[in-house]
Amino acid sequence: MSRIGVFICHCGENISRTVDVERVAAEVGKLPGVAFATDYKYMCSDPGQGLLKKAIREERLSHVVVAACSPRMHEKTFRKAVESAGLNPFLCEMANIREHCSWVHQDRKEATVKAIELVGMMVERVKKNRVLPTITVPVTKRALVIGGGIAGIQAALDIADAGYEVILVEREPSIGGHMAQLSETFPTLDCSQCIMTPKMVDVANHPRIRLYTYAEIERVEGYIGNFQVTVRRKARSVIEEKCTGCGVCMEKCPVKKIPNKFDQNLGMRPAIYVPFPQAVPNTPVIDRENCIKFKTGKCGVCRKVCGPGAVDYEQEDRLIVEPVGAIVVATGFDLYSIEEKPKGSPIKGYGEFGHGRIPDVIDGMTFERLASASGPTGGKILRPSDGREPKQIVFIQCVGSRAREKGISYCSKICCMYTAKHTMLYHHKVHDGQAYVFFMDARTPGKNYDEFWRRSIEEEEAVYIRGMVSRLYQKGDKIVVMGSDIAVGVQVEIEADMVVLATAVQPQKGADALAQKLGISYDKYNFYSEAHAKLRPVECATAGIYLAGACQGPKDIPDTVSQASAAAAKVIILFARDQLEREPIVARVREAGCVGCFYCKKVCPYGAVEEKEIRDRQGNLVKVVAYVNPGVCGGCGTCQATCPSKSVELDGYTDEQIVAMIEAL
Amino acid sequence: MHDNPIDTSIYAAVTEAIQGEARRILSEGHVAAVVGYAAARRKGSAQPVVVTRADDAGKLIFSAACVNNLAVYLTKARKEIPKSGKIGIVVKGCDLKALVGLMGESQLKREELYLIGVPCAGVLASTIQPDTALTAGTIAPKCRECDAHLPTGCDFVPARQPVTPELEKHYSAEIARLEAMTPAERWAYWKGQFKKCIKCYACRQVCPFCFCEQCLCDRNKPQMVETTPRPAGNFAWHIVRAMHLAGRCAGCAECERVCPMDIPLNLLNRKMAKELKELYDYEAGFEVREKGPLATYDEKDDQSFIK
Repeated sequence: MSRIGVFICHCGENISRTVDVERVAAEVGKLPGVAFATDYKYMCSDPGQGLLKKAIREERLSHVVVAACSPRMHEKTFRKAVESAGLNPFLCEMANIREHCSWVHQDRKEATVKAIELVGMMVERVKKNRVLPTITVPVTKRALVIGGGIAGIQAALDIADAGYEVILVEREPSIGGHMAQLSETFPTLDCSQCIMTPKMVDVANHPRIRLYTYAEIERVEGYIGNFQVTVRRKARSVIEEKCTGCGVCMEKCPVKKIPNKFDQNLGMRPAIYVPFPQAVPNTPVIDRENCIKFKTGKCGVCRKVCGPGAVDYEQEDRLIVEPVGAIVVATGFDLYSIEEKPKGSPIKGYGEFGHGRIPDVIDGMTFERLASASGPTGGKILRPSDGREPKQIVFIQCVGSRAREKGISYCSKICCMYTAKHTMLYHHKVHDGQAYVFFMDARTPGKNYDEFWRRSIEEEEAVYIRGMVSRLYQKGDKIVVMGSDIAVGVQVEIEADMVVLATAVQPQKGADALAQKLGISYDKYNFYSEAHAKLRPVECATAGIYLAGACQGPKDIPDTVSQASAAAAKVIILFARDQLEREPIVARVREAGCVGCFYCKKVCPYGAVEEKEIRDRQGNLVKVVAYVNPGVCGGCGTCQATCPSKSVELDGYTDEQIVAMIEAL
Repeated sequence: MHDNPIDTSIYAAVTEAIQGEARRILSEGHVAAVVGYAAARRKGSAQPVVVTRADDAGKLIFSAACVNNLAVYLTKARKEIPKSGKIGIVVKGCDLKALVGLMGESQLKREELYLIGVPCAGVLASTIQPDTALTAGTIAPKCRECDAHLPTGCDFVPARQPVTPELEKHYSAEIARLEAMTPAERWAYWKGQFKKCIKCYACRQVCPFCFCEQCLCDRNKPQMVETTPRPAGNFAWHIVRAMHLAGRCAGCAECERVCPMDIPLNLLNRKMAKELKELYDYEAGFEVREKGPLATYDEKDDQSFIK
């Protein structure tokens, strides 16, 4: 006969405010099989857990039900406590009387009745719980880092420095990401390239980092400690092992006028190119869409001039399978474009700013390229339309960000600071120019950040106008900026030579598709979701996958680097163990009932179901049934729901348990 | 109009061709047995038969009385069939769809079967005496809207073209009638039908897709479906049956034929098939498919049920 102990938590007042916990304890204590029932203010606290352990010993409890918060919150806590008192942890269940009851109800009497029923259900369920032994699985001590921006670079270096192998996959031909595009960085105005390129070189030279550039993630299978990742190495048309990076091919390529994405399409590049001179690896790639050889079959100059014979027009995409134990996702961000958006998209463009058709209305990243010494203008601020130096320049903040009517309600976090930086860079380069900034309010939390912003106004003569811009239009070679100054309460009109928009930070295109491959969750903007906003900010809800940088939300460089190192630390913690203990909540096949339709195999998202032959003593095949590999099973229960003959059951969630719960109602 | 005769003159030639082919494959050792139809005791009637010797191939026939779906003899009713060796089977178009479904569900292997397809103009309704002539009035309801008179992908099909006149559609009309009802009326209609059920499970036994060795309805730990023929338990059984057949049932209508209480089971199956066609553009056909529509997820799937 079971001797069940029921422990009811007040959760401070979170539960006891709406639920009469003493009455729940009294009522539940009368249920058959319940030997002990009590309530306590904070069951998860040390004395609360002590109470539980003491009761297990003194009352010789066989099963435990803790009625408190969601099992997502504290199931692990209580199972651990139960284990330390000598019971199998899977003989402990939680009844959620907070999220499912006290938080969503107001009527104390009814909420109390509901709480009693919720606990009663769990009492019936726990009676049918079985002792489950822990399952251990080996850990592959290699990490995959997706994205070669500053986040991915930092995470890769940290993990590799700790002694583990890292596979770094970057979609573009070079690592470096957005930080490589920046001119100078706030709040110190040090050159971005100068601090970035050494790290890029470190990655390339690190004995434990394997770098795949111009590559994408094709498929991800497996689970924490044991992922199988298929990487698509796109055809570069240049053999990396042979290329010496001399650059003759680029010099001789007859196609020269292709807008370079790295320079925000302001600079030009040949059809065989590296995106920028400091690229890592310094191996060119042929842009097959624009290459004459690929378009017409003629030319072939690059192959002729290549000394080591590295150019290979026949190269095809290659698929490589890499076993890894952990994955860091660091895919970064993209900027909101004000162009017209497709109908039905929740994100709207800016018709009032000309939908991106006015050439001298540029975004912040384009300004970075103009201000960069390695940029298309050699660091001179010049207008894209006619190459003149703008004497009046207007910066507009919060373009797309914090604009619910445009489809985005969040703050992009970095724009206040980089706009202040832009006004300074402008002032340093165009001494007789005047910068105006339209802003809603300046958000400058961060070490030395507010000082930096103040400096742009007080020392660098930027004029900040509190208010938004209603319209931009071209008038001759000027851009008329119509806005309001709400501090003074007047309409403002400025004839500007150039307008720079601080457009919103958005996740990279295709972030959702990658998330689906990885099996991680994302929000409505496609930013990846962390497991807990406060306490697990670098982990995904999917075990073994970690987040770094702006793919999780807008972030500046210091925050990105910190998060990348944090993600690396999580990976290193995982790799510090040889065996991983995993929850024994896995599916089990009842072979007598299985008819081998393998619907379970078809629906299993983990690839855990295998085919198993049943033979008689003479060795004749009796039938083929499903077998669930417990190391691979994710415990999702999809097979259980799919099986037509109910021949597969998830431990801890058996049909018997679920029916017992329903019948207790 | 109901007396309009349907031309079944090809059936004699089809019978001859089946016999010839069966004799050949049995004598040449291609197959261990042929599952087909043979004449039964009553005049004009037919019954399933397993032929294992070439000399017995002459027993095989095809007529308008050959109503059974023989696919069921390859799975759970596989009693008199040799355990090893390739099996020949006589299939109408409707039966072939079931076989194909079973291949997709790992119950049969194509390479272990020798398919003798039948050009079929239709068979008799279950309520009609077997020696009756096939007419627009005596044809089985499923044959009225058959789209599979000529099976494809078989190893052998007699070279005859069945004459298939356009007939009034039974199930489509019934589905339209049901769909015009309010949910309450529809509920009442099915309640009235399922009330008749005596839980004999003949529909399950005859269905080629009910191949589970242990039906979940026979389980008692926990009991999933009430076993006594009470309205609630009846409803549960028929809903389980309809859901388990959704996206699989090819419309051989054997369940409806064998139901002693005349419950329009195939009407429910056809309605489910129509839903799947509309929601997922899926139909049971002649192609072996790995995954049914209910075992796959696509982002474009209808999500309107999430409220």
